[in-house]
Amino acid sequence: MRVFLGAAMAACLAFPAGAQSPRPDQAQFRDIYKELVETNTTLSSGSCTLAAERMAARLKAAGFADSDLHLIVTPANPKEGALVAVLPGRNPHAKAILLLGHLDVVEARREDWTRDPFSFIEEDGYFYGRGTADMKGQVAIWVDMLARFKKEGFAPRRTLKMALTCGEEGAPFNGARHLVNEYRALIDAEFALNEGGWGRMDESGKRIYLGINSGEKTPVNFRLEVTNPGGHSMRPVKDNAIYRLAAGLLKIGAYDFPIQTTDSSRGFFAKMGPGLGGAIGAAMTAFAKNPQDAQAAATLATDPAYNAMMRTTCVATLLDAGHANNALPQRAAANVNCRIFPGTTREQVSAKLQELMGDPQIKVTANAGRSPGGSAPPLTDAIMKPILAAAAKRWPGVPVVPMLEIGATDASYLTPAGIPTYGFTSIFFDPDGSRLHGLNERVRVRAIYDGRDLMTEVVKAYLK
Amino acid sequence: MRTFLGAALAVSLTLPAAAQTRPDQLKFRELYKELVETNTTLSSGSCTLAAQRMGARLKTAGFADRDLHYYATPENPKEGGLVAILPGSEPAAKAVLLLAHVDVVEARREDWTRDPFKLIEEGGFFYGRGTADMKGQAAVWVDMLIRFKQEGFKPRRTLKLALTCGEETSYAFDGASWLAKNRRELIDAGIALNEGGGGRLDASGKRLLLTIQAGEKHFQNYRLEVTNIGGHSSRPTPNNAIYRLAAGLTRISAYQFPVVTNEATRAFFAAMGPQVGGKMGAAMTAFSRNPTDAKAAATLAADPSHNAILHTTCVATLLEAGHANNALPQRARANINCRIFPGESVEQVRLRLARLVADPEVKVTTLEKRNEVAKPPPLTPEVMVPVKAAAAKLWPGVPVAPEMLAGATDATFLNPVGIPTYGITGIFGEHDGNGAHGLNERIRVRSLYEGRDFLTEVVKAYANQK
Repeated sequence: MRVFLGAAMAACLAFPAGAQSPRPDQAQFRDIYKELVETNTTLSSGSCTLAAERMAARLKAAGFADSDLHLIVTPANPKEGALVAVLPGRNPHAKAILLLGHLDVVEARREDWTRDPFSFIEEDGYFYGRGTADMKGQVAIWVDMLARFKKEGFAPRRTLKMALTCGEEGAPFNGARHLVNEYRALIDAEFALNEGGWGRMDESGKRIYLGINSGEKTPVNFRLEVTNPGGHSMRPVKDNAIYRLAAGLLKIGAYDFPIQTTDSSRGFFAKMGPGLGGAIGAAMTAFAKNPQDAQAAATLATDPAYNAMMRTTCVATLLDAGHANNALPQRAAANVNCRIFPGTTREQVSAKLQELMGDPQIKVTANAGRSPGGSAPPLTDAIMKPILAAAAKRWPGVPVVPMLEIGATDASYLTPAGIPTYGFTSIFFDPDGSRLHGLNERVRVRAIYDGRDLMTEVVKAYLK
Repeated sequence: MRTFLGAALAVSLTLPAAAQTRPDQLKFRELYKELVETNTTLSSGSCTLAAQRMGARLKTAGFADRDLHYYATPENPKEGGLVAILPGSEPAAKAVLLLAHVDVVEARREDWTRDPFKLIEEGGFFYGRGTADMKGQAAVWVDMLIRFKQEGFKPRRTLKLALTCGEETSYAFDGASWLAKNRRELIDAGIALNEGGGGRLDASGKRLLLTIQAGEKHFQNYRLEVTNIGGHSSRPTPNNAIYRLAAGLTRISAYQFPVVTNEATRAFFAAMGPQVGGKMGAAMTAFSRNPTDAKAAATLAADPSHNAILHTTCVATLLEAGHANNALPQRARANINCRIFPGESVEQVRLRLARLVADPEVKVTTLEKRNEVAKPPPLTPEVMVPVKAAAAKLWPGVPVAPEMLAGATDATFLNPVGIPTYGITGIFGEHDGNGAHGLNERIRVRSLYEGRDFLTEVVKAYANQK
């Protein structure tokens, strides 16, 4: 889950050519990562519980006491378990920091992939496998970090917590929501780090920017449904469920929701504009200065990813109508997937869809989904300084940009519950988005190792 | 399958108030109930079971095993049927074939007011899937053979009954087609009586007209399909498979094919005009005299049933698109069901649809290839006299006219192999189409019982014809 930008060139650093053999600590990390990727955690045939147990075993081997390892499995969802690990801090009054990750992955079919999606394969500078990017790389970084801290005897001032959950990729049972509802005290923290943000490279491997996600859009599925008495198709009548639905969908398809901004989206465009240059760069700069600049907004809207950062979007994703090829349809239904901009409510979007279609025969119902993301947590100096410092040291010249997440993450459960959650990954992805949710998912080896180093530095800084 | 007209007022007889159900009708009703309550949908039913149940009744009535021919292919074990023979006294005389399909259109319990697979009598109607299309007539055929056998009725010509499956879909095994190809001798006949045609009631239940089907429109499905690279739905793009499809469908929905006529439709409107009267009746009369009368045609087109026999019609019946609620659709598809007026070709209609859609990304393909529409068999005096005589006796004053069916029947398979097939039912249908293929399908109790009496007379007359 993440944002991919259609951004173009940048004047940043390329990865050095040629792989080097991993350092001993990287080899140990790689072993955890491999085990995670090779533990199938799809909803259909995998087990997050098994992955959680395996990660717990590694932490125990590193010296974690059983009392600091909480395997959380509900009887109704035996394979969708979670692990919460606690590395106690020296100052019990200092608020904890939470590292959040999801163990589950999107389905992957062996026959569709070039390589076995559940074998961890290193090839041509990439790690291949389902979850290598979303998000077992970051989860392995969390687990490895806790194991190292314990082995090194690192005693942080603040408590460090880690929560690995299941069901982020769309399962009915969401582990993060479960923890918020049932184990709120266990995961309590001043703030949490989660997937999101990401770094972005160009085709040649140059780093374009490092993103930090603050705030995200809320995904809501709306069901549109028309019912009709139907009848025999040899005798068509004017009032047809499919045609009503089609007319309604066309009106939704033709509509652009109003332009909106958040601090992070403006910050993103402000920072990206000068580096990108050209018409898009100029539009970013102009838009960041003045979100009322309709021309700049229109220019940005031509790119689907930037467009998604500027407004609520709704798009039809599923259709289902009729029951026989020779009968007038008695029912026509569509799913409209909306990504609601912070500050807009699902009720407002629902009302707008109804108003656009202008047909009371088309019933609109919002499916239960994630809770609204709430207002984006502020990117305070306390959050940004360690990231800026670490990034400037390792990747001078690469901008660190706040981003509005156009997808959705489990931050939507934690932030409203009073745990401000930041999407910060430190892993740079390829322009193809590392094929998240798609075929042959992969991530650059170097991007993983470098991200791990940066993340270690950032988390250590937060803990002080 | 049947056409019903939404005609308005008329000057015919209303149905008399509820009469006592005769004992023979009660027996028939029980057989009918068993048939309706035997689910014969393609998805979850079995025509084979329905055929076995009807065969068991025939056997009990005295039919010899050698006169009961069950058939089914190994690939389609639930789509079997039955051919039953009542031998005639004159072996050289050509047989009379009674044809009926026992399969029904799908019906979902949650969409219906009542259980679609229970025969429910309520307010003068039988409710249930297949009550009208066409388990009523199928039950009439089976019951008739049982009675003939029990009464010792010896027809001159052999009577044959063929119960088939697969009429309601264009893609599944079709029993009538299979019999015509593989058991041509078994079903050989000088005349076949089938669904199609029937009586017309107006909204108040007055009988307007009794029709005999002569010819039918051609049934053809086309697929509209758009494919797309898809992507994550958090990042919509302007090129969307669903919207392209929706735009094409909207353009198709706004189009009307040109008005055409043939002898049957003109004769039908000529007979209907005086019966219907008023503005609609006048339009029928005017149109039958002058098919280029655009104003008359427009008046007729306002009624869906009349509209259906004025020209080719095409309508979207199925939609399917997308693979996940959070992904942009990689594929969007619609089924367009067309009823092609005789004289127009399947390819002409496909090209017309493609021009209407006007988007090269929306592919329009022709689906199943059935026979082209056969030339209708002639309405000779041998065919018409028994019908007119029975109608005059049962419904004096109600005219009899030919009609071209807006729908399609299994006549499409029998006519081409030389078995002249006529749609004769004597069952008067509702102005709204009886919910055939739709929700809450129903048939007027009185219409079914009267149709049974009518068909008994007509079949006896045919069976004794020289």
